[in-house]
Amino acid sequence: MKLKIIPVILLLAALAMTPRLSGQEGGGNPFAQAKFVPDISLILDTSFVIRDLDDEWFNMLWLPGFSRAGAAGRAAELDESNLEKGFNLNYAELSLASVVDPYFDLFAVFHLSQEGFDIEEAYFSTRRLPAGLQLRGGKFLSQFGRINGQHAHYWDFASAPLVQSAFFGGGGLGELGARLSWVAPLDVFLQLALEVLQGDNGMSFGRKGFELPDVSVADVQAPGLLVATAKSSFDAGNLTVLAGLSAAAGSSRHAPGLDDGDGTTAFAGSAAVFGADLTLKYLFDSTRYLSLQAEVMSRSSRGDRYDFDAVDGWLLRRQRGRQGGMYAQAVTRLNKRLRLGARLDLIWQNDVRLAGARQDLPGNLARYAAMGEWNPTEFSRLRLQYTYDRSRHAQVYGLWQREPVHELALQVNITIGAHGAHAF
Amino acid sequence: MKRKNFLIALTVCALTLPLAAKRLQVVTTYPYIANLVEHIGGERVKVHALAGGQWDPHTIMAKPSFIAKLRRADLLVINGAQLEIGWLPPLLNQANNPKVNVGSPGMLDLSRFVKLIDVPDSVSRAQGDIHPDGNPHYYLDPYNMLPLAEAIAAKLCALDRQGSGIYRRNLADFNGRLNVKLDEWRERMDPLRGSLVIEYHKNYDYLLRSYGLQLLGTVELLPGIPPTSKHIRDLEGKIAQAKVRLILQDIYNPDEAARHLSAKHGIPMIKLPHDVGAVREAEGIFSLFDEIVRRLRDE
Repeated sequence: MKLKIIPVILLLAALAMTPRLSGQEGGGNPFAQAKFVPDISLILDTSFVIRDLDDEWFNMLWLPGFSRAGAAGRAAELDESNLEKGFNLNYAELSLASVVDPYFDLFAVFHLSQEGFDIEEAYFSTRRLPAGLQLRGGKFLSQFGRINGQHAHYWDFASAPLVQSAFFGGGGLGELGARLSWVAPLDVFLQLALEVLQGDNGMSFGRKGFELPDVSVADVQAPGLLVATAKSSFDAGNLTVLAGLSAAAGSSRHAPGLDDGDGTTAFAGSAAVFGADLTLKYLFDSTRYLSLQAEVMSRSSRGDRYDFDAVDGWLLRRQRGRQGGMYAQAVTRLNKRLRLGARLDLIWQNDVRLAGARQDLPGNLARYAAMGEWNPTEFSRLRLQYTYDRSRHAQVYGLWQREPVHELALQVNITIGAHGAHAF
Repeated sequence: MKRKNFLIALTVCALTLPLAAKRLQVVTTYPYIANLVEHIGGERVKVHALAGGQWDPHTIMAKPSFIAKLRRADLLVINGAQLEIGWLPPLLNQANNPKVNVGSPGMLDLSRFVKLIDVPDSVSRAQGDIHPDGNPHYYLDPYNMLPLAEAIAAKLCALDRQGSGIYRRNLADFNGRLNVKLDEWRERMDPLRGSLVIEYHKNYDYLLRSYGLQLLGTVELLPGIPPTSKHIRDLEGKIAQAKVRLILQDIYNPDEAARHLSAKHGIPMIKLPHDVGAVREAEGIFSLFDEIVRRLRDE
């Protein structure tokens, strides 16, 4: 997915210039297409981070039983933003959106960072299916749970919830695939959706097989992941309640070299993640609100695990995992510009059994965050967030040792251009 | 033979009865539009307004329950001129209802039937929340209710031919009643002609224009951007050199600055409704303007 960034930017700049040029030619040009230019926007996210650990050491820490990255860059598996102390250019996100014709819409988000170019989303959706149906195809963020479908710049905090990062990674569950959604013809909002996805998400799923000296594990046939969601909402006076249930089930493959850093573990099996979310938003008036939001997620996985041992070579054992956690947050908007919020992250279940024997993994991974935001307008935001993270661990002589992290991040998020409004 | 015809007629009746009984489902973005549709549609339509009249029309929260309403709509009537741009598009996108998509016959944009004022020559967000199509608060001018009602009637006739007669009759009744009220409001507003006013947001410009009032400035710094102390001092400088009669404040924006100006310079501050349901008295289009005129005159 990483491409040379310069030609891409030149192309996009040319695209953005087109309307102006043809606009100047103006009324004289019988072939002017200026009015058909899609909505183009650019979102810049940059930050300054103070952390009480060196970057190198911070990158060595992980969530026991979850992270799959190699020895370097573990932090990047969990978060896409605020990775380094000092200044960060988290991303410049370019989005394009337009009606295609009477039958389709198209939406694309290009996640540009200093490391490269990533197509975060690029999908079409139908406009005219009957009976309340809509089909979406391409690459998109799954609507699993509450936060997964939202872009980072719409989050209430600088980081994704811990349990979300642990199960789906910092970029969330974004996959190639198709989604069919249906809105029920009822007075109450009820939306059901089924997603058929490629299943390449590195944290919980995966399709790529691997070769060990005595064993060959084949690739899983695509598509390898199914997601089903149900969402419902109603209003009671000024209170809006939104609740959802989600399930994702698919094949899981970890090639050696991805897990535990030193290339001595591989896994082939399946995983299922279940989620329940609840949002309560109370409007005091046109500007002030209080929003409470919580998600509970649980993952069960089973399969064959291969561990390399210097004496016996590759050892095969059955692995069963049950892991779960939640986050709960409260955010209030006090006036047009000021928002305050606090979030509790907790992974309380971390039960992994190998050949029936329970592994000694820490089961109480917690993180606390508080943020204050100043929004000069809806196009610019300054956010100060303090995070006390007690979830990250270092492995010292084979034992897990908790490494509490204090972090202060000042984040600036700026939007220009034509950027569509956000859903609830 | 006769009996057979009778049976056929009965069957046809039985088949068409549920159709006739099913009222046209109309969803509107704001309550004033719902009230207009009720006036024209009468018993043949079922109307639901998404936004409440007490809220800031620019920043309505896009509640998922609105999606359920849009999902079943036969007709969606919007204010347009980008007033709904901050909340309606994602709802329409999720409602999966091709009938009311932009460009479909079941979507009516009322801003196309009035002449918008303050259309900017150039747009930049350095000017605040500027509306490129012009000032979208055209509905706060009672004279604009005539073309709006006509547009709604024409749309209802197109979607429900059987009801055309009723819609035409209702439109004629509405126009008759409105013309009487327009004369009454004009008489009541006449003493204010030529007066200088300040408003918080450019909510009432169309009203001011229709009744010949002059705007000195807005309390907010720029559209959607709260006042700074410097801006208030500048405004006070202007007030000192002119005779300002009224300060118009809407019900949803903070009123501290307007109160301050009112107390310091002895200018009455009037809270005006901006939509049906904004204040208790504004129950419909007629009582909305009755109340606006009453509050302006009773200061």
